[in-house]
Amino acid sequence: MSAPPDRRPPRAWIQYAAVVRKEVLQTLRDRRVMFMLLFAPFLQTLVLGFAVDFDVDRVPTVVADQDRSQESREHLRRVLADGTLRFAGGADSAEEGAGALDRGEAAAVLVIPPRFGSDLAAGRTAEVQVVLDGTDPNRSNVAAGAVSRYFGEEGLRRAGDRARAAGVSPPARIEIVPRLFYNPSLKSAPYIVPGIAAMLLVVVTTLVTAMGLAREREQGTLEQVAVTPIPAGVLLAAKMTPFVFIGFFDVLLLVTAGTWVFGVPLRGNLAVMALATLLYLLSTLGVGLLISTISSNQQQAFLGGFLFTLPAMLLSGIMTPIDSMPRWMQWLTYANPLRYFQEIARANLLKGGSFADLWPNLLALALFGASIFGLAAARFRKRPG
Amino acid sequence: MTLAGNPAGRFLSRVGAIAWKEILHIRRDPRTLLLALAMPVAMLLLFGYGVSFDVDRIPLAISDQDRTEASRRLAQAFTENHEFEPVGGADADAADTVFRRRRATAILVVPRGYETDLARGGPARAQLLLDAADPVTANQVLAKADAIALFESRRMASVAGLSAAPPLQVKVSARYNPEARSAVFIVPGLAAYLMAVSAVLLTALTVAGEWERGSMEQLFASPVSRLEIVLGKLLPYLALGLIQLLLVLGVGTNVFDVPVMGSPLLVILAGLLFLAGMLGQGLLISVVAKNQLVATQAGALSSLLPSLLLSGMLVPIDNMPAPLRLLSRIVPARYMVDALRQILLKGNGFARVWPDLLAMLIFAVVIVALATKRFTRRIA
Repeated sequence: MSAPPDRRPPRAWIQYAAVVRKEVLQTLRDRRVMFMLLFAPFLQTLVLGFAVDFDVDRVPTVVADQDRSQESREHLRRVLADGTLRFAGGADSAEEGAGALDRGEAAAVLVIPPRFGSDLAAGRTAEVQVVLDGTDPNRSNVAAGAVSRYFGEEGLRRAGDRARAAGVSPPARIEIVPRLFYNPSLKSAPYIVPGIAAMLLVVVTTLVTAMGLAREREQGTLEQVAVTPIPAGVLLAAKMTPFVFIGFFDVLLLVTAGTWVFGVPLRGNLAVMALATLLYLLSTLGVGLLISTISSNQQQAFLGGFLFTLPAMLLSGIMTPIDSMPRWMQWLTYANPLRYFQEIARANLLKGGSFADLWPNLLALALFGASIFGLAAARFRKRPG
Repeated sequence: MTLAGNPAGRFLSRVGAIAWKEILHIRRDPRTLLLALAMPVAMLLLFGYGVSFDVDRIPLAISDQDRTEASRRLAQAFTENHEFEPVGGADADAADTVFRRRRATAILVVPRGYETDLARGGPARAQLLLDAADPVTANQVLAKADAIALFESRRMASVAGLSAAPPLQVKVSARYNPEARSAVFIVPGLAAYLMAVSAVLLTALTVAGEWERGSMEQLFASPVSRLEIVLGKLLPYLALGLIQLLLVLGVGTNVFDVPVMGSPLLVILAGLLFLAGMLGQGLLISVVAKNQLVATQAGALSSLLPSLLLSGMLVPIDNMPAPLRLLSRIVPARYMVDALRQILLKGNGFARVWPDLLAMLIFAVVIVALATKRFTRRIA
């Protein structure tokens, strides 16, 4: 009965709502910004999801069959049959085939030397030669692997036959039977699309916050708001609110496009994904805010944002595996919020990772977000205008 | 005979004046200049080491249900070359949790009876449970596991004294990049990428900044034509971009041992054509956007991601669906990446790279013409 302040909403709330309203109006008014924030991520997801495909198959291969025997033709037919290599022409010698590599007409040359068939029949070692365009190591590894596997197995089979012919028991064979979890057809898109979410959110939120605030500082409008009685903390919270909504909207869009277009399975609990998005936005917005407080104009803010964004994207495990980085760099990725978010997104959507599985990543995101946002907010409070 | 009397001379002196103004801009902002030169080098160092697909020391958990000499020998064969790194035992039933928590990428399950099967001469089977979410890594793991099984089978055959000379042998040799190092593949692509990004964004930002501050109107009030403004603005950045390219390639060849098999002059020619197109693109964006915030987002959208993903720098273009392969044809970085690899790694000359050069030339001419056309003397 004696507490009058309870009747009205608290003043901070009114101030917060007013600034949010201003921000929303300002964002809605600029159609181009809206386009960039909402539609562009969708378009990029589609393009990137289709573009990123690391599968190596149909490697153009020039074949130099110098033996021209029944045996060599049969082996060539079978080694080309599994789809990794594609016949791209014949040649008389390894040198002639190498010319096709120089001209970029083929990426591999397969040479069956003369007397291949007779060597095999006589029990001498028959040698197959593979010359590769090693420019793309991934492609050349897979091509070499396909040839080695085929002739390796063929060799073991022959060795067994010879042993049996000699009356000895054939050598034992070890077989590794793989069982593939989560992505048995080894498609790139289901793996890449959740990673793209991490990339797009950082482009949309970090760069836009950093530049938007730097712009307001340049134009002096931030100073005008700073002279109103709104406390810096409330101002900051209100300025970040629209981005949180845009971020959630973008993630929702991405997950929808991912499941419908790219066959990304939704195996996990989406609440984990939502929590991760919130914590991740805290980090990306915090970085943007921090950059805006240390730059005096948009150009500097952009460069700052860019200097963070590009390495953070390329060294996050989104495109290339973290395991293939040098050790010292693997340690550095622990300071990269993109790493945690892409791991959560992939583990949650593809593998069905639950809160119990992913809490260390969530905790890391929370710690990173809280500290970077806290630091940025403290700096912003000191010098809003 | 004076410069002022001749129309071509007047044209050049006006372009020169605009270019000089732009050089003064760059010189007075040493921070931007430093960033423009130091950033690509720093990024190249970072990505040259970090961006690679070669996976070794793959975390492998081992579930040995056989517990015999043979099963231990198989586990050792997996880990002795450091291609797999043992991370301890795991229960095959708990594979899901192991993969979700990324404790291991694969689990080798050696079933009970493995040694007996081997001794009997029948095929002895071991199972490899694999977290295949990442197909690039999964493919490498499969290839490595196959190779190890083959090698072990052969080793046992030779221990048994069965065939001293293997009946078949494959000799693999790779040209251009014999050690199959990712850096040799990545660095020429990165050079093109870093140039694309910094050229587009640098021009997009500086010109959009002039629109925002209103100094573009002052330029319009002077007797300088549109084309003269455009050329004058592009020339200094062209020079800056060329310095960037040489710096980046210098670091690439010295730090990452990227070979220079072909003519450096051809590299510079390709670089000039490529830069002209990228700078023109930045100019076009800024002319259309007239606002730094929109210009950067459009610049990022049109250069950052396409140059990374549709250029063949990381992702092979041959694998893309047809519409994207078509789209990649209007991404100039595609031609630059190809030209650089052709010249640097394969030592090809003009006779091989002219289609790339021609494509970049066409792009540059079209985009600069478009930018000039849109560059109307409209006062906002």
